[in-house]
Amino acid sequence: MAPIHRAVRARKAAQYVTRQPQRCAAAFSVLNRPPPSYEGHIPLTTIERGAMAVSAALGSLWNPYRGDLISITGETTATPYFIYRLRDAMLRDPTGRRILRDRPRMTSKTIDVKYLRTLPANTVGRAFFEWLEREGVEQDSREQVKYIDDEECAYVMQRYRESHDFFHALTGLPIVQEGEVALKAFEFANTVLPMTGLAMGAAINLKPAERSRFWETYLPWALTNGLKSKEVINVYWEEQLERDVGELRAELNIEKPPDLRETRRVLREKRRAEKAARQAQ
Amino acid sequence: MRPFRPQYFLREARRSRVRQVVGGAHRSYASSATNPEVYDLVCVGGGPAGLSLVNALRSNGSTSHLKIALIDSQDLSKISHGQHNASPTDYSNRCSSLTPASMAFLDTIGASPHLNTSRVRPYNHMNVWDGITGQHITFDWATAHGFPSLEPNPITASAISSAESKTIAYMTENSNLVSALLARSAALDASTSHPLTLYSSTKVDNVELGTQSEDPEGVDLRSWPLVTLSNGATLAARLLVGADGPNSFVRTFAGIQSRGWDYERMGVVATLELESPTAAEPESATAYQRFLPSGPAALLPLPGNYATLVWSTHPSYAARLRELNEEDAIAMVNAAFRLSSVDLEYLHTISSGQADEVAWRLQHTQFNNDLVPPQVMGIKKGSVAAFPLRMRHADTYTGERVALVGDAAHTMHPLAGQGLNSGLLDAAALARTISDAVNSGADIGDTLSLEGYNTARYAANHALLGAVDKLHKVYSWQSGPVVWGRSLGLGVVERWGGLKGLFMGGASGGA
Ligand SMILES: Cc1cc2nc3c(=O)[nH]c(=O)nc-3n(C[C@H](O)[C@H](O)[C@H](O)COP(=O)(O)OP(=O)(O)OC[C@H]3O[C@@H](n4cnc5c(N)ncnc54)[C@H](O)[C@@H]3O)c2cc1C
Repeated sequence: MAPIHRAVRARKAAQYVTRQPQRCAAAFSVLNRPPPSYEGHIPLTTIERGAMAVSAALGSLWNPYRGDLISITGETTATPYFIYRLRDAMLRDPTGRRILRDRPRMTSKTIDVKYLRTLPANTVGRAFFEWLEREGVEQDSREQVKYIDDEECAYVMQRYRESHDFFHALTGLPIVQEGEVALKAFEFANTVLPMTGLAMGAAINLKPAERSRFWETYLPWALTNGLKSKEVINVYWEEQLERDVGELRAELNIEKPPDLRETRRVLREKRRAEKAARQAQ
Repeated sequence: MRPFRPQYFLREARRSRVRQVVGGAHRSYASSATNPEVYDLVCVGGGPAGLSLVNALRSNGSTSHLKIALIDSQDLSKISHGQHNASPTDYSNRCSSLTPASMAFLDTIGASPHLNTSRVRPYNHMNVWDGITGQHITFDWATAHGFPSLEPNPITASAISSAESKTIAYMTENSNLVSALLARSAALDASTSHPLTLYSSTKVDNVELGTQSEDPEGVDLRSWPLVTLSNGATLAARLLVGADGPNSFVRTFAGIQSRGWDYERMGVVATLELESPTAAEPESATAYQRFLPSGPAALLPLPGNYATLVWSTHPSYAARLRELNEEDAIAMVNAAFRLSSVDLEYLHTISSGQADEVAWRLQHTQFNNDLVPPQVMGIKKGSVAAFPLRMRHADTYTGERVALVGDAAHTMHPLAGQGLNSGLLDAAALARTISDAVNSGADIGDTLSLEGYNTARYAANHALLGAVDKLHKVYSWQSGPVVWGRSLGLGVVERWGGLKGLFMGGASGGA
């Protein structure tokens, strides 16, 4: 077992303190907000939830780099139905159940980048590491879930969020907006979380060439793969780090999409060459 | 087992028309195919339906003289013996709820004083809820009262309206009922000159129509069913009653088709020991039923801390439940009333470890503690069994010299606990029809004489079977419009009173 996995297990369930089941959350007003169900929880009224969903969704469309707004959109639109569907998908799967039981967290503290670097080239861990390097990002702590009332569903949201970078690594999709939109489309087909669908709306911000690539290549890829593959939320990433990445993709039934970064690079060079040629004339 | 009594013969009927055919069928020698022992009524099957029919006839002045034989392949004395020696901590896994109408009928025929009341648990609350939407109805006599009793039989109707009791139904072992009916029969034997001929541990091997007419003095047995028993005896029946359960031999003989379908579900039964009784007072208790997509799970109270389980579920799930060790099986029963159907589905697929999984899931599952039964602490060894569930309805209950009662006539899903109750009501109605025929001097085996029975019970049972079948189907859906409707549904059903009526045996007569 990878050392990191052990570390993760040791930290399990640190902040989701198990409570006795409470009665169905009844309607309340802002004047008598009930106590939080877990650390960091902010119970919302239906109206507040709706208003936040709309404003955060619009805000994140205009500014797709506002991760906080994307998080809010995600949380406020996931209830009452969609997050339960995702939780149930986990409960139907032996590994999904184990994840729910262990409640591992994936943060820069629990994922040891130095260890990832030592893994063989074909492994999931190494692919993740290389993706981090290539994209120049760090596995940073993701936004804390706060607007989902059910403590278990709050964890599911957190897990989904923390798995997102592994989806990037598995598909090789870059974090540029074009890659994000394609990945969101994949996640939408796979998780049915509304926020991922809303985030696809960011396709309107794409440049014409990107947009046609999205419609012609990446959207069809995302929808077919998202639907035909297994539920990616049920991957215990911490246990898969030493696994052959192709093997995992095959197990999940995901095809790797065309390398977007490479495509963009080739096109960029072609354009540059054309421009140079034009200028030389 | 009672010895064969050749000295009794058909009593001379008072009316002339009967006298013609009765004649002097006096036999003092062992019966055979050519020399059958002649009876007014031969009842195949000594289950609740058959025994209560025989007791009803024998308790009624108009029919107490009829010469009756009852045959059952089981050793009936074993059932009585078992009941008398049963310890108060040991209950059989075959239990039924007797509705107030059934109890009233048992009163009328003098059987209820023979019930071992320490082994009967009345209940006056019922919690029924939907495993997907969580919609529930909780009802007691006070709220369930006030919708009309639809049972047309005067014996039971008067009893229902006079019932001051707040009881929804009485839970008891089928063996307690059968044993009480046998005891009543024995008491009648002692007090009348028309004892019952009881063939216990004897199978009906064959039934065919008599072909030859007897000597001029005797009965013309052409068109009479001749019943051949496993001990070699042959009985001729003026009226042959099929009370021989779902695979009725008599029904097959009569060429009566039985139609319906298999639910592809098994009813898993078990005797449970609870952490505490469902109610503090012995005369009040609560029955629980949760509709899961695979079928309803019901926990019904028995005396003390005991309860009986009837869990309808997929055959593969049922097989798995029966293989679990006690700890895991207990966990599954507790889970059935508490965990989500997603969890339950998963738990049905693993071969062990349910106890651990359930303990974890209970920490993350919201359920209403006031709605669920007390924790199950133990399952009686060897009490877990499973029965296939089906719906069948015979095309008719009567034919020439044939009548069907109980499961021989109709089999239904146990979700409303009405199978046995409807069989008792059949027996009450048939006994009445026979009594009417005797009083008017008609031949009790004549199709016309039996018509009244078919009229009294067929439509009522048909409505009941339909209601039970629909409930099963409505609650088998897991998602979509049916479930949305259901989340309003139980509320509507609750206001309508239909479901309550069903559980109390009142919906059987249609609106
Ligand atoms: C899991 C389960 C739970 C149930 N729960 C309830 C409940 O809570 N309430 C309720 O009202 N009903 C309930 N029922 C239904 C109830 O058990 C039956 O409706 C009832 O037992 C039928 O009685 P019966 O007398 O018609 O037939 P049976 O009880 O089947 O009796 C038939 C008798 O005929 C005998 N026999 C058959 N063939 C022959 C032959 N060829 N020769 C001689 N003898 C023969 C058999 O030995 C048997 O004793 C339940 C059923 C199941 C499967």
